[in-house]
Amino acid sequence: MAYYIRALLITTFLLSLPLTYLLVWRLKYTLSLTRPKPIRHGRRNPREPTHLLIVLGSGGHTAEMIAMLERAVNSPSPQSAQSLDWRDFAHRTWVVGEDDELSATKAKEFEEMATSLTSQETLMRGKVRAYTDHGPGSYEIKKVPRARAIYQSPWTSPFSVLRCFLACWSILTHGVYPEDVSAMQHIPADTKGRDYPDIILVNGPATGTVMVLASVALRFFDYKGAATRFRMRTLYVESWARVKRLSLSGRILAHMVDRCLVQWPLLDAKKTGPGRAEFQGCFV
Amino acid sequence: MSTSRQKIAFLTTGATATFPALIEAAVSPSFLEALAAQQYTELAVQHGADGQQLYEKLVSKAESAGSGVKVTGFALDTTGLGRHMRRAQSSNNAEEGVVIAHAGSGTILDAMRTGVPTIVVPNPSLLEDHQQELADELEAREYVVKGRVEDLAGALARAEKLRQRTREWPPVNSGTHKGLKGILDEEMGYLD
Repeated sequence: MAYYIRALLITTFLLSLPLTYLLVWRLKYTLSLTRPKPIRHGRRNPREPTHLLIVLGSGGHTAEMIAMLERAVNSPSPQSAQSLDWRDFAHRTWVVGEDDELSATKAKEFEEMATSLTSQETLMRGKVRAYTDHGPGSYEIKKVPRARAIYQSPWTSPFSVLRCFLACWSILTHGVYPEDVSAMQHIPADTKGRDYPDIILVNGPATGTVMVLASVALRFFDYKGAATRFRMRTLYVESWARVKRLSLSGRILAHMVDRCLVQWPLLDAKKTGPGRAEFQGCFV
Repeated sequence: MSTSRQKIAFLTTGATATFPALIEAAVSPSFLEALAAQQYTELAVQHGADGQQLYEKLVSKAESAGSGVKVTGFALDTTGLGRHMRRAQSSNNAEEGVVIAHAGSGTILDAMRTGVPTIVVPNPSLLEDHQQELADELEAREYVVKGRVEDLAGALARAEKLRQRTREWPPVNSGTHKGLKGILDEEMGYLD
């Protein structure tokens, strides 16, 4: 009897080696810094609708996210002397906590401000590029259960994190057609909804971290072409409040996101920061 | 009650020795114009007892030029200049203004402690030109703006810059970073 058990254990061990190797290889590939970006033909191309997903936490995280977006659309970036044109993203998905009315209101206010800004500009220029312009685009606000409430006990947080993870998964995959719609000659009738986001923009809240984890899982399994179509570039912006040490979200995401942006020079990976942390100036 | 808010420039020449060149430079049509361009509403002058005659002569000349900036003056206040300087602070009905002071150390301390941007003007006719040293060092450390009698308007412009630099976020000299737009463009793969 003991002989059979030993034989079974050895076989399992030997089989698990290549499997583990495969999984590690796949994970490395998924998290590779050099993974390609999709090819695009100009900004605001109606055949290539763009999609930005933003996660709003609560309180300070929301305030920082709105502050950096407001700065980006209102004041020109020092390098290009141009400010962000909100129409560059044909659709915006805002993800907020299910009980977080304040963040939902902030998102609405920002959308109204940013879209009026660009339409004014168009009026001033006196020309609307009818062929390429899709107007102010569209947005929606989606609610997810919180990943972790403040002061929540660590013993119950795995359950709330899982609940949040499933909600994020369903937001990301909702209506996604498994092939690249823009490359098709005839768009099939059953492509309701829209593609995966091009960019997932998050900062500190736990919900943002879970959203990134969900997108990494989708790419890991190449669900509906998430990996082969190079979807969902992830962008993490560390809180402005973190000067010397990354936050918990930052320490988890620093090895996982495509861009990990810190807002103080000391946190740059070249200095004391971990992983992919990079300092590209302050955004708020 | 006026609808626009006050913005006061307070000028002090000190109690010990008057500084007629500074009064002449400040109460002049060209400087009042510079004040008006920066939305100042009043120039308050502490001219000292010796400066009374000079001040009165200059005011009548400056007012005929009509810059719209009100000029008020007094000789000395034995209870101290603190409350006069504090008029330049921001309040419900006043925007933060500026203190223009001769570069005497007591006056500089008082002015810096009000928190209002301060222009210090050394009096070069004093013994060994002794006010220069401190004014230079304080300017190098960006606590004050050092002005010259010959170019008071230039100093006023630099004081506005100092106010911006210390109060405004994002900092004006935040380098040549890409900004969030630059990063988003990179990630989207836009090459234009």
